[in-house]
Formats: sequence, C-alpha cells, structure tokens
Amino acid sequence: MLSYAWTIPLFPLFAFVVQLLLRTKGNKKLVSSLGVVLTFLSFVFSVYLVVHSLVWNQTIPEWKVNWLHIGANVVTVGASFTPIQVAMLFIVSLVSCLVQIYSMGYMKEDKRSNTFFAYLSLFTFSMLGLVIAPNFLELYFFWELVGVCSFLLVGFYFYKESAKQAAKKAFIVTRIGDVGLFIAICLLFWEVGSFDFDVVKQAVDANQLSSGMITLIAILIFVGAIGKSGQFPLHTWLPDAMEGPTPVSALIHAATMVAAGVFLVAETFWLFEESSTALAIVSYIGGFTALFAALIALTQTDIKRVLAYSTVSQLGYMMLGLGSLGLSSGFFHLLTHAFFKALLFLAAGAVIVAYSHEQDIRKMGGLWKQQRWLGIAFLIGAFSIAGIPPFSGFFSKDEIFLAVFQSGRYDLFVAALLAAFCTAFYMFRLFYLVFAGKVTKEKTKTLSWHFKVPIWILALFSVIAGFLQYPKHLISGWLDETTQTALWWIPVVVTLMAVFGIFLAYAVYQKRWVSAHTLAKLSGIGYRLSYRKFYIDECYEALFVWSLKGLGWILMGWDRFFVGGIALFMKSMPIQLSEMSSRIQNGQVQRYILISVIGLLLLLLSITVGRFIS
Amino acid sequence: MYLTSYLALAAILFCIGLYGILTKRNAVMLLFSVELMLNAVNLNLVAFSRLGFYPNVEGQIFTFFTITVAAAEAAVGLAILIALYRKKETAEADQYNSMKG
Amino acid sequence: MNAEFLAFSILSVFAIGGAVFFLNAGKVMHMAIALAFTFFSLAGIYLLLQAEFLAVVQVLVYAGGISILMIFGIMLTKPEEGAPSRSFQYHQWISLATVTGFFVIIMTIIYQTPILTPAGKETSASVKSIGSILFKNYAIPFELASILLLVALIGAIVLARKEQK
Repeated sequence: MLSYAWTIPLFPLFAFVVQLLLRTKGNKKLVSSLGVVLTFLSFVFSVYLVVHSLVWNQTIPEWKVNWLHIGANVVTVGASFTPIQVAMLFIVSLVSCLVQIYSMGYMKEDKRSNTFFAYLSLFTFSMLGLVIAPNFLELYFFWELVGVCSFLLVGFYFYKESAKQAAKKAFIVTRIGDVGLFIAICLLFWEVGSFDFDVVKQAVDANQLSSGMITLIAILIFVGAIGKSGQFPLHTWLPDAMEGPTPVSALIHAATMVAAGVFLVAETFWLFEESSTALAIVSYIGGFTALFAALIALTQTDIKRVLAYSTVSQLGYMMLGLGSLGLSSGFFHLLTHAFFKALLFLAAGAVIVAYSHEQDIRKMGGLWKQQRWLGIAFLIGAFSIAGIPPFSGFFSKDEIFLAVFQSGRYDLFVAALLAAFCTAFYMFRLFYLVFAGKVTKEKTKTLSWHFKVPIWILALFSVIAGFLQYPKHLISGWLDETTQTALWWIPVVVTLMAVFGIFLAYAVYQKRWVSAHTLAKLSGIGYRLSYRKFYIDECYEALFVWSLKGLGWILMGWDRFFVGGIALFMKSMPIQLSEMSSRIQNGQVQRYILISVIGLLLLLLSITVGRFIS
Repeated sequence: MYLTSYLALAAILFCIGLYGILTKRNAVMLLFSVELMLNAVNLNLVAFSRLGFYPNVEGQIFTFFTITVAAAEAAVGLAILIALYRKKETAEADQYNSMKG
Repeated sequence: MNAEFLAFSILSVFAIGGAVFFLNAGKVMHMAIALAFTFFSLAGIYLLLQAEFLAVVQVLVYAGGISILMIFGIMLTKPEEGAPSRSFQYHQWISLATVTGFFVIIMTIIYQTPILTPAGKETSASVKSIGSILFKNYAIPFELASILLLVALIGAIVLARKEQK
C-alpha cells in the first residue's frame, strides 16, 4: 500500500478529466461531488501516510522511473515522501477537499460551475504533484501548472475587465520569479548533472559546489519563491488575484499555492543553510514584507484585499522564520496559516454571500446578531492570526519570534513585533466593522451546510493545530531539528502586542473613543501611503510598464518607418521600374524600331570601337 | 569608278530610309521608307556583283529575289494597312498602339 | 573626269535629292512622287553598273508597280496633318541622333576598309547569262518566289477585303 503512495495526485487528475468531459452537459451536483469524493480519497490516503510517516516514524519508499538519458545523466520522474512532503500532502488535500465542499454552496448559481470544479481538480492534482516531486524538474513542471491553474481561476470571471487584468498580472508577475527558479535549476544541472534533490544534496554536502555558486543558486530559488509567495517586490499580483471567486482565494491564494514558495525554500533548506548571505536575504525580505503588507492591510476597505495583504504579511513571517534558521518554525507557521487563513477566507466568502456579493467593509455591520456562528468562526480565525493563546497562530508565531531573536537580528525582531501589532489591529478592525456596530442589512442570506461544515472543520484545526509543537515538539522531530530552548518572555511580549492591537481596534471601531479619521490625520502621509499600497503599482507602472511601452513605441517607429520604409521601397522600386519600362512599351512600332536601332548602333560601336583603338 | 562611291550612296539612301521609318507618321510612308532601304541594299548587291573582289552575276540574281520579296511585302503591307485603317479610321502610325504595355 | 563619273554624280544627286525631298515634302502625294524619282535614278545607276536587265526590272517594279500601289494606298486612306505630339518631337531628335551615329559608323567602315577591285576582271552580265543561271542554279528559289507572290496576292485580297457580316 505504501509503495502506491505516488497515486495520490492521480485521483484529482482523474476527476479533472471526467469533469472536463462533463463540462457542458454534466449534472452540476454530480460533477462537483465527483471532485469532492476523489479529493477526499486523496485526503484519506494522505492521512494513511501521515500515520505511517509522522506517527509511526516509518520511511515511505520513493518511487522512481528513468525518463531521459542525456549523455551519462539520467533524468527521473517519481515521487518522494519526506516528512515535510507528507505533512504538506495532508494540508493540501484537506484544504482542497474542504474548499470544494464549500464551493458546492458558493458556486451553486454559477452557470460555469462545472468548469470551475474541473479547474479546482486540476489545481489539486498539480499542487499534490508539486508537493511529492522528488526532483527540481518535476517540481518546476507542477510549479508552472499551479501557475496556470491560478491564472485560469483568477480569470474565471473573464468577462470582467478587472478579472482579466488580474489574471494576466498574476501570471506575468509570477513568471518573473519563475525565470529565477528556472535559471537556478539549469545552474544546478550544470554543476551537479542531476535534478534529484538527493543527488544535489549529497553534492552540496560533499562540497562539490563553490560557496558563491551555492549562494547564487539559493538566491535564484528564492526569487522563484518570491514570485509564487508574493514577497516584497513581486507581491502586487496577490491582492489583485482576489478578483477570482472566494474559494479560489482561500485555496490557492491563501493556503496552498502561495505557500509553495515557502515550501520550496523549506524543501531545499539544506542549500540555504550553506549560505549565510542567502539566509540573510530570505529573512530580510520576509521581515520587510511582513511589516510592509501589514501596514497596507490597515487601511484597505475590501474585505478580501485585507485578507490578501494579511496573507502576504504572514508569508513574510514564514520566510522570516526560515531565514532565521528556524525551518520548523517557518513550516509550522505555513501549516497553521493554511488552516486559519483558509478559515478566514471561507468565512469572508460566507460574509460576502450573506451580503449578496458586497465586498466593501464600510457597508457591512452587525452581522454578529444575524449570523452568530459565522462571527464565532471568524473570531477563531482572527484570534489565531493575531496570536492569542491557545489558538494555533500563537504557537507558530512564537516559534518564529524565538528563531528571529536567536539569530540575533534584532531589527527584524522589532519589525516582526510591529507587524504582529498591525496584524491584530487590522484583523479586529475587520471583525468590528463587519460583525459589530449597526445592522446595515436587515435580512442577510441564510447559509447552507456547504458553508458551515468546511468552516467549522477549519476552525477546529485552527484551534488544535498549535498543539503539534506544544508541549511536545512534534514538527521539529519530523524535520530532525533540535528544539531550541524557549525564552519565557517572548510569548508574553507577542501576546501583549496582539492584545494591544485588539484593544486599539476595539477602542476605535467598537467604542469609538477615538475616531478613525483622527487616527488617519495623526499618521499624516502614512495613511495615504498605506491606502494607496505605498504606490508600488504606480511605481511599477512608471518604471516598467511605461519604459517598456516607450521602448515598444521606439521599436514600433523603427519598424514602421525604417523597416516599413525599406519594404515600401522594395515594393515601389519594381513598380517604378516597370512603369518606366512600360512607358517604353507604348505599343508604337516606331518606338520599338528606334530601340532596336539603338541596340544595333551600340552593337556596331562595341565591335568597331575596339578595332579602332587597337 | 570605285566601289566605295556606290557603297557610300547606298549608305546615304539606307540612312534616309531608316530615318523615314523612325519618324514618318503616315503608315504608307513607312512602307515607302522600307522600299527605299531595300533599294539601298539592292544597290550594294549590284555594285558588289560588278566591282567586288569576285565579280559575279549571282549578285544580280539576289537582287531579283529581293525585288520580288519587296513587291510581295508592299502588297501585303498595304493590304494590312487598309484593314487597319478600316478599323482605326486613321493612317497615322502612332495611333496604332493597341499593343501598349 | 570621265563620262561615267559625271553620270554617277548626276544620278546620285538625283537619287539623294529625291530621297531628301521624300523626307521633307509637305504633302503625302509629293513624297510618293519624289520617291519614284529616286527609284528612276537608281535604275540609271544600275545601267552604269552594266545591269541592264535589272535596270528595266527596277523601272517596271519600283517606279511602275510599287509607286503606283503606294499612291493607291495613299488615296484609299485619308492622310491627316496634325501637329506631332511633344513626345513625338523628342522621338524625332533621338532618331536623328541614332541615325547619324549609324551613318557615321557605316561611312567610317566603308572608307576604312581597303577594297580591292581587280582590274580587267569585270564581267558583263548579259540577259542570257542571267537567265541561264537563274533557271539552272536557282530554279527552286525562283519557283518559291513565284509561290510567295501568289501567297502575297491572295493574302492581300483576303486582308483588304471588307468583312462580311
């Protein structure tokens, strides 16, 4: 049974094929249930693996097939099941299954829901394939495949101009990062002659690669992760990707695909460990992103955008944890984040449905009284992300703070603390604006069990996932990492920051002791900067779009006037020549005779002149 | 008397005929010019047959044939001209340009 | 200066003069008559070259037959006297230059080439000898020429006939 573990991704693939065939004619309920059932099978298999691998500490055999022979090098395809991969399998299949159940309710009225479920199945397949890939090449295939799925799903409402633009942006911006990853893979193959993680790892351990090359490769891999995980310079696509349906945001742009970057860094962590420069870059970019995105999230008014920036910020945390040598902390946060962010997104989706597809939080309020269960679920997610004990986010954040503190980068530690404060503030701003206050809509839609079941399951996991590391450090054990001695004051400080943030939100948005406007005025230009997302998009517009457009115009001018001129000349020259010669051919006998006589004259001249000269 | 004088006379006549062919606008005159050129050629033939390096009667024989061909040409040419005139209503050679490219 | 040279000079002046008049005459009919004059002069030149039979043929065919044919042609068509177009004048100048060039080359060749005339070897071509060579050596070309004339005759009739509708 364990040797067939590689079949896990094939269930959703099968579902995808069938759903694609039934896309136009198929019964909606049947098609969606098929996806759920097959993904559930994957999930069950994953649980089986989890039990074997993580609980009983067995090694699951790799599965490998030779694919290509390039000279002496062999390229293989297969599947490997290290603990980190098994844990990831569990997360992906679980969240995917829940989101599909949720989608059955969310997409009920959509005409193209069959296509939607087919895309979801394809995504699940790709993501599972990505997770179990044992070599860089296979990983890269699936890496691009999830990118395609993201593109398809963000652009699902392709008739909306904004969705179309967002899909393009998501695809193109992530592609920039992918180029980095691709170069890294090429370099690795060049240096080592293999794509396999094992082989490369052995080569790195045996000091076959120079340290400069390792740094370069690690940074390029991280560039790929930056693109996928929406880290600082390439984060702009992720908030725009919220144009897709909310379940997609929950699955792809919160829990799984965007975590693939973090997963990639975690999986190739042995490479990063060899290069302190790469680690420093990872942690600084992660730390900066965490604070930066949190600041933007403070002022956004679209419920999904707040969550999107929160995702960017949390991914920054994970990178920060990884960069500070805390492999388990980063991965642990990835795990808990998958649960609570999926929960938050699904809850936000439920809120949006309850308000008949209204996403502006300023138009919401008082939902607590109407949908109390939703409020509670959202509150669990909010507490978890803010880092209030005993919710899962508290434990994972605590680990990250510990790792950062012990790595000695105190500037990042302070930035992370500020980000934690901001996180608590914007989450509870969201909570108070949506659930507390005056009732803005008398009758909100009642939500079916499709919404409730996934949300409650995720809420459950959000609560209990933290206990994986406490009191026993299970994850560190899986990752063969020595546990660090905890410092007692760090959790206290983190919790205090969170509580302070929550209190501020309570003061501003619930009790209204301080008006939000006063706060905005107090921060001066800061509010504007945050509201306009620090003008990053505008900068890119000016820097890349316009400069490229200018270049395009120049090239177009070159093409139109120079190349086109040559083409025009080539076209008109024969025409002119033929017009000239046709003027000679005027049909008059005497003209022809004259020409032939001139020819005769020339002939005679050429014969006689030579004679005379000699 | 030298052969050269006859040749020179023939050349002058030939060139006048050539110029006529090139510049006359009346098609009948074109035919006339052709006859003039043929006469110049005949003169050459006869002169050579009498004063050439190998004097020979056959030069005159050739002239007969040339005259015959010239007569036939004049007849056919005039017939074509009349047919054309009937079609185009003009005898101007520069109006016959339906082969214009 | 002997009589032959005198005769040649007069005849050639007549021939060239007729040709030049042909080129410059204002009326078409005058041109035809001028050219007939040239043909006559050439017949005289043939006499100088002791080709009596040919001279007679020249008078018969050219001065008689072809000139009359041409006059018929002129009378059957209406000669138009319009001002030549500009491109035609252009054409005339080029023609003149070309013909002059041609003339210069031919004359140069004629006067540059040493032509030897063996003295005392002159043959007199009597009508008898011509007839014997024509019907002995050139019988087939002679017959062909007669066929050619027949074809030309029929062809001329067919071409010039009015098309019956």
